[in-house]
Amino acid sequence: MADDLTSILVIVLIVMAIALAFSIGANDETLSALVVAGVLKFKLALFIGGVAIGAGMIFFSGGFVAKTVGSDILGEGITYTTIMLLTVLISSILWLVVGSFAGIPLSSTHSLVGSVVGVLIVYAIFQGGVNPDTALNWTKLGNVVLSWFLSPLFGLIITFLLFKLIAKLYLSRLKGLNQIELSEKHFKWLLLVGVIFAEIWVGANSGEALGILYGLLDNGSLNLTQYFTYSIICGIFACVGIYFAARYVIRNLASHMVDSRPSEGLIIQMSSAIILMVATILGLPISHSHVIVFCIIGMSMAQKKEVDYKALRKMGIYWVLTFPVAALLAGILYLGFFSFGFS
Amino acid sequence: MSENNQIEIDEKVLKKLNIDELTHLFMDNINEQNLKLIEGIESLVEENFEKFNNNMKYVIKTNTEVQIKKQFESKIFKSKLMFSKADRLKLFTKINDIKNIGEFIANKMLLYRAVFPDEEFKIHIRNILKSLKIISNKLSNAVKLIGSDLSIARDVCEEIKEKRRKMRKEEWNLLNRLYNYDMDYLSRTFLYLKELIDNIMMLADHIKSFSEYIQFLATKYLIFD
Repeated sequence: MADDLTSILVIVLIVMAIALAFSIGANDETLSALVVAGVLKFKLALFIGGVAIGAGMIFFSGGFVAKTVGSDILGEGITYTTIMLLTVLISSILWLVVGSFAGIPLSSTHSLVGSVVGVLIVYAIFQGGVNPDTALNWTKLGNVVLSWFLSPLFGLIITFLLFKLIAKLYLSRLKGLNQIELSEKHFKWLLLVGVIFAEIWVGANSGEALGILYGLLDNGSLNLTQYFTYSIICGIFACVGIYFAARYVIRNLASHMVDSRPSEGLIIQMSSAIILMVATILGLPISHSHVIVFCIIGMSMAQKKEVDYKALRKMGIYWVLTFPVAALLAGILYLGFFSFGFS
Repeated sequence: MSENNQIEIDEKVLKKLNIDELTHLFMDNINEQNLKLIEGIESLVEENFEKFNNNMKYVIKTNTEVQIKKQFESKIFKSKLMFSKADRLKLFTKINDIKNIGEFIANKMLLYRAVFPDEEFKIHIRNILKSLKIISNKLSNAVKLIGSDLSIARDVCEEIKEKRRKMRKEEWNLLNRLYNYDMDYLSRTFLYLKELIDNIMMLADHIKSFSEYIQFLATKYLIFD
């Protein structure tokens, strides 16, 4: 009976991981800059973006961020149980849904990692035999949390410097509107390359779905072939998510971006892609939306435009709260499961 | 040539022109009408009423710019311009406004034939008209520079604004003089002369506002170090 329940839970977790992959694609706004530039027809842009994000997810599923979330942040000898993974997923989804209804943009990455911490601390305290100090790999977790602060900061700095460099070497020499239009027409093709590059790393750094699957691989619920099969399915569903669901987000965002230039979009996308690439290679799950926001701020600062620090402060508070709130929520949820005999 | 002795532009020639060239052609056309209007008013000052009438009627009846406008409108929405479509459309609209103001002034000028009070008044009117001609030509240059060098266009616009400030002083001198003449203030002459000054300044104000828009475009599009 317990085995049957575990099997059912594994299936539920796989389905939820695939659904998460779909939602990662559905919420991705990277293609907005491409749509504004009018480089490709809308559906073709969605398809190419979808393929890129799916490819990133699939080709980097063998380790990197998936391994960090699914195994490395756990303590020595600790593996996820199916109930832990279920709690982590439910808790992070719940917090994101609350945030959506409240109109607050939250990071799914922070929410997931926070939930993992909450679950493991409760596991260590209540299930006994595990020291909370060793339930988690605090060094790895520390690096992950540090990356959440450093990645947006580096995004801002890289965007600022990249813009200043390109402005000094090239953009400032364009004096007439005709020259500017022509140069931006060339930039839009570079933007296509930049967005595809960014989408690959967005997929590669999406540790939520693949982290769950890696956790199942690590605890023996899946074998390697099954893991890679479901990773490919996740990649496909991320692609499907962008094609069928993200179009509304992208269209909405694009309508607010009509004055932005392809050159600006390229700098922002390349900066965020570089940050995501480095973070992925180091196996650090970071928030793409946070990085993009700070890249946009970096661009505004470089262009000496006003930055809405009040809105930023408000966003920052929610960003900082996500981790502890998700941890608390997951901890309570896991305690509830544990109380009812599920562990 | 059409019935009204207006020069019509060959449609085939217009079709070959791009958005920028159509804008320049439109600007040239409107500026030419503007200069005709100003020269017409100068003729009124010189009491050359025939030339005055001919020039006012020219400004009212000429509609060559309609052809250019139609061609521009058919091209702008189909064009592959990335982000400057709305601004170029606004530019075109502002140039068209000069024509509308010019036509309004020409119609008003034809309502009555006034005689100027004295030589001093004529000298001041000639000065203000000379300044109007200068800023009209400068605006035409600035519009043509938008495509090639917005920074020079911005500088030209600054000169327009400076000139218009001086025109404002000339306006006060004229009005001061007008109010101090020994004439019935409800007379048609007084009203006509007052409106003449107001109309000249209305056109100058539009040119000034247009030049501020061009400066805004320079700030918007130029990347400064």
